[in-house]
Amino acid sequence: MSAETSPTTGRLRHSLARPHTVPRRSLLQGLSCGFGWLAFQGLQAAADQQPHFSAPAKRVIFLFMDGGVSHVDTFDPKPELDRLSGQPAKWRPDVRSQAISAGRRWLGSLWKFRQRGQCGLPVSDLFPHQAHMIDRLCVIRSLTGETPLHGAQSLLLHTGRSIAAAPSIGSWVSYGLGRENENLPGYVVLNNDWIPNGGFQNFSSSFLPAAHEAAMVRAAGTPVDNIQPAVAPELQQLRLKFLRNMDGKFAAQQGTAAGIESAIRNYETAARMQTLVPDLCDVSGETQATQSLYGVDRDDSFDKLYALQCLRARRLAEAGVRFIEITCPNTHANNSPWDQHGDLRRRHTENARITDQPVAALLADLEQRGMLDETLVVWAGEMGRTPHSGGTDGRDHHVSGYTIWMAGGGIRGGMSFGETDEMGMSAVASPLDIHDIHATILHQLGIHHEQLTWRFGGREMRLTDVHGNVVKEILS
Amino acid sequence: MTAKLVPRRIFTTKSPTLKPLVNLLRLLCLTTAAMAAAADDGRYFQQEIGPLFQRHCMECHDRETHEGGLNLQDQITRGGDSGPVIVPGHADQSLLFELVSHAEMPPPESGQLDAAEIEKLQTWISAGAALPNGQTFPSVTADRIQALLLLRCAVCHGATRQEGGLDLRTTESILRGGKSGPAAVPGNPDESLLLQKIASGEMAPARRLVEVSIKPITDAETALLTDWIAAGMPAPVADRSRENSDSEYTATEQSFWAFQTPQQAPPPSVNTTARVQTPIDKFVLQRLEQVGLSLAEPAPPDVLVRRLYIDLTGLPPTWDQLQDVLQDPADDRISKLIDRLLESPHYGVRWGRYWLDAAGYADSEGAQNEDRVRPRMWRYRDYVIRSFNSDKPYDRFLQEQLAGDELAPWQDGVEIDAATADNLVATGFLRLTPDRTFANITAFVPDRLEVIADEMQVLGSAVMGLTVGCARCHNHKFDPISQADYYKLSAIFKDAFDEHDWLKSQGERTLAVVSTAERKQWEQQKQTLESRLAELQAQQQQADEETRKSLQQQIDAAKGAIPPEPQIRALWSRGRPSPTWVLLRGNYLTPGKRVQPDVPTIFAERYPLPQIAPPWQGAESTGRRLAFARWLTSDQHPLTARVMVNRIWMHHFGRGLVDTPANFGVTGSPPSHPLLLDWLAVEFVRSGWSIKSLHRLILNSAVWQQSSAVSQQSQELDPAGLLLSRAPLRRLDAESLRDSLLFVSGALSEQMYGPADPLDVRADGLVTVRATGDQWRRSIFAMMRRTQIPSLLETFDYPQMGPNCLQRSESTVAPQALQLLNGGEVHRLSARLAAVVLQDCQQSMPLTDDADLRKQRIIAVCRRCLSRQPGKQELHLFLQGLQELANQWRQTGETAERAEQLAFANLCHAILNSASFVMVE
Repeated sequence: MSAETSPTTGRLRHSLARPHTVPRRSLLQGLSCGFGWLAFQGLQAAADQQPHFSAPAKRVIFLFMDGGVSHVDTFDPKPELDRLSGQPAKWRPDVRSQAISAGRRWLGSLWKFRQRGQCGLPVSDLFPHQAHMIDRLCVIRSLTGETPLHGAQSLLLHTGRSIAAAPSIGSWVSYGLGRENENLPGYVVLNNDWIPNGGFQNFSSSFLPAAHEAAMVRAAGTPVDNIQPAVAPELQQLRLKFLRNMDGKFAAQQGTAAGIESAIRNYETAARMQTLVPDLCDVSGETQATQSLYGVDRDDSFDKLYALQCLRARRLAEAGVRFIEITCPNTHANNSPWDQHGDLRRRHTENARITDQPVAALLADLEQRGMLDETLVVWAGEMGRTPHSGGTDGRDHHVSGYTIWMAGGGIRGGMSFGETDEMGMSAVASPLDIHDIHATILHQLGIHHEQLTWRFGGREMRLTDVHGNVVKEILS
Repeated sequence: MTAKLVPRRIFTTKSPTLKPLVNLLRLLCLTTAAMAAAADDGRYFQQEIGPLFQRHCMECHDRETHEGGLNLQDQITRGGDSGPVIVPGHADQSLLFELVSHAEMPPPESGQLDAAEIEKLQTWISAGAALPNGQTFPSVTADRIQALLLLRCAVCHGATRQEGGLDLRTTESILRGGKSGPAAVPGNPDESLLLQKIASGEMAPARRLVEVSIKPITDAETALLTDWIAAGMPAPVADRSRENSDSEYTATEQSFWAFQTPQQAPPPSVNTTARVQTPIDKFVLQRLEQVGLSLAEPAPPDVLVRRLYIDLTGLPPTWDQLQDVLQDPADDRISKLIDRLLESPHYGVRWGRYWLDAAGYADSEGAQNEDRVRPRMWRYRDYVIRSFNSDKPYDRFLQEQLAGDELAPWQDGVEIDAATADNLVATGFLRLTPDRTFANITAFVPDRLEVIADEMQVLGSAVMGLTVGCARCHNHKFDPISQADYYKLSAIFKDAFDEHDWLKSQGERTLAVVSTAERKQWEQQKQTLESRLAELQAQQQQADEETRKSLQQQIDAAKGAIPPEPQIRALWSRGRPSPTWVLLRGNYLTPGKRVQPDVPTIFAERYPLPQIAPPWQGAESTGRRLAFARWLTSDQHPLTARVMVNRIWMHHFGRGLVDTPANFGVTGSPPSHPLLLDWLAVEFVRSGWSIKSLHRLILNSAVWQQSSAVSQQSQELDPAGLLLSRAPLRRLDAESLRDSLLFVSGALSEQMYGPADPLDVRADGLVTVRATGDQWRRSIFAMMRRTQIPSLLETFDYPQMGPNCLQRSESTVAPQALQLLNGGEVHRLSARLAAVVLQDCQQSMPLTDDADLRKQRIIAVCRRCLSRQPGKQELHLFLQGLQELANQWRQTGETAERAEQLAFANLCHAILNSASFVMVE
């Protein structure tokens, strides 16, 4: 029917059938031309925000480990749990706990812990590469959530609300810091062909201007939607030229109509992006050493693609993207990548194989280029996993105390913060909630979390709602 | 006496080295000090607390100021507007302590309490908050306990179920007890079964908590319950004087423009009388003349016709439709066109959509990953479209949506006529918000309160133009809406939105109530199919093996063809509302003052709520919502008409007279033309709340009919167009753009109504609407799942319903350009457009590069897409473009004919990308 090659055939195809596909609606929403909407809208002068105070970090890289990494198997060793492993588990009913104690037994760590680095913090054998970087990490062991459900927790982690419809932290950062490069979005999600629970809401600009929505970059195939011209470059040029003439004429008729002029410029930006974005996503110009450091040359396609996204993250960071998020691939039909109610040993090992090396490589690469001090790296899932189990090779949802880490961007490395109780059940020393993490992230970017607001529904809305305290103890 | 000195010295210790010791001593001293404080009959208060209040609080809370209704000088025991501020023995339950310890009071600028002072407060409250001069705080009463038991126990021992024969909702029923005897013994906590069961952990049963979405009782709550029983289970002290009373509002607050009934001022006289077509023009011209401006020239007729079509139907006119008007010599040809378009079924599609935005329409629950579909929600969407098409009076429209179940009897097997069925479908308005309460783990009381809060926000923003949601946790910071007002308002909805008596969001909110006619039709259809099925089954029993198999196929088909019972998603009164308490700081764990259903105080005096009464004899309904709907739609109501008039205006001009359509309060934008707003509001009510009359009034004005071209003068003196010195130049909204693309390429289906069109989600995430045959229906009929918005719509600012959308953004972002430029959908449509254009100008393949034929084609595509002929220069531009494109295709090795065809498709594609197509002058 179409006289032309459809630009959308031969695009991303999956080797595996997945329970969720990668929505591409709005994928590119964030790839806005800076002046476009502003000129058109005459909206609040929101595009070029300034930080509130000078601060170490200029950007954030967020490594989202969705599904929930087991804290007691990675960064939070519990000798007492190991000792009682196999014994019936008993605890006080907790509203944040999904499981009930009947028939549950304690399950000690499946991996051995060793002290690592100069700081001597323990890391399990699951993460040998991250263990190597432990002196850069601040391991927070006392994060708490609200509801032991993936969707709710994921939204809480991303937007500060467990019920839908609030902007993502990436959108807030993009809005709060303004763009460093006007041809690039402020917030990019380097996706691994799997949309985490909570769906697109996780990456949405919600009530913030559309320009701050995440631009989604796929791992396999064409990285960005509609970025590939449907026709040969010469034809595309001719079409754009014709369009420019036509719109120019229309603009002239309308007098000084800013609307049409910004529409014309919008097409020019789109045209520039057609080259810029694919270039940034192309890592073939990186040295062999760099590619191997990340593991882009590994055999398995999940391994390869995750490494590719980590390397792209560094390139995007250099190019001026403010908030870069990397999601995990879901290797098989599972609710989410790290969600191991069963098959814990095998699947946690697999996820670690995919992510550990590239994550550590990203830290090392940033450090070696002198970028780590100005790049805040956050490694977090939306929950931890229960220290107890209904079997011997699985753990369930856990939000009463779990572990994340932060590195770079003015965060102290080689330290741990907060504690869970001796079984790894509840945060008992310095419990934090996600709002505290958000407040701290913004603080490191020079943004006061109580002053970063947007008027919506008659209220000055904040990422941290009415909560949040900067965790001063972990700042360097 | 020494005991009292100890804490004072310790608490003021600043030395950091002593900190651990201090902490330890604090624990010890709290008890000692507490004992002392309790024993001293108010001396601790006199020595420590009174002076502390004096230092920090009295500026705003003495008997003169008593902000928030709180007078700490001599009425501390009465508490404030939201309820008691001190609960003796329970610092954690005391609002005053909570605000002070969270540094929310006193306000930061007036100096806050230091740690030692906070400790003192805690000490005093924990020890029983003794007051001097024999004053006492009311002890914990049945009022507080009722709230507690409703929250923790009543799901199994309340309205729906009385397990063990026990109902814990009232003091009487607690004393009556269940199968094991009375649940409590007044004055004797130890012998009270209720407390024994809680202490032993038997109640509430841990295994069943999630199943009924209940969280376990806290230790503090158990202590409260124990105190109450120990005190002899006292009833609440009647203080009717304070029930529903609030702070008094100042004269300024009371006389705020938006709280006065609109009055119609005569239209002003103006100089440019020649331009006056309606009274609207005079109001606008007056402002313009004040700054030395006038209206822009009238828009050329072809521009005006296109603008009208798109404004009223969301589609451009066909060339023939345009010519019909242009060739009509009558003076009133535009007025006649307005009338015609208002009768078009497409009018309801276009304008119903605006209401769906305001109401927050979606075909799914949202809020959780599954984003479950609401399979019957489309009936509400159809109801809205039909209501707009039939010009249902707005007052009736609101009454149906807020209280349709209370307008006419529908239960007990009465005959349901079409109007009654509509009443119930209309209540879907109150079932639209994101709602995760379909699963046990996400249906706890706070989850339910979120749903109610969202509904309140929709009501406030879409109908009342007030940010009532701000008063959920505290008195409104700017508008005279107290926290109690918020809960009074939510009490009106309590018989349907009861957080302690909840219907889950999937299944339970469904009624099999449709018009008797529809039901009969369904029954007949079902019967026919079932008897056919029975026949087939009978045949099968007697048939041989081979025939059996083929019959089985027919049987399966017949089974599948039996239509499901027609059902609707609705809201209805359940007739047994729980009481409503102000929730201190919006927290469901700290209920404050009990309130009765009512409208906010600022209205209550001048515009009181009509009497609440069951709508008919024997009705299960309380009639609360009906009374409220009647109050809202009274001719005198200060906001309802203004808010709607402003919304209609906003959709015609791109900006409301009040630029904050959801907020007519103090922080909203003041109206740009206040007299015009009021004039229109009064006209609207006078016309019988007819929305179509309002459209006629606006569309016939010279203001609406002026050109969008920007003159130098207009640019300088009215840069943003606020004064309406020109018509706005607007981009098509998401639906109009998609529908127009489909329409001009001959791919738009005329079929309306019914279940939503399913979506296709491609492996890479592209969301498209499934075609019906080789056509698509208008976008409003597509499935609008919150997590799967058709890509084309989403890129062009289809809003997130969070919970609703009063004003879509109109962004210009690169993904839009990329989508139109490179996206597959638009490419396919432009190829289709090229084909229909050739039909239009009676040309067929193969195409040639003959200049005249090319001109014909170009003229035809301009007529079809842009509702105009290209000018001479423009035609030259097109011809040149076509030539260049064809040359390029030739260079890639295409034949001349094929190059011509591809070049023309490219041209069509460019036109669909052009500002002339995407924008409306």
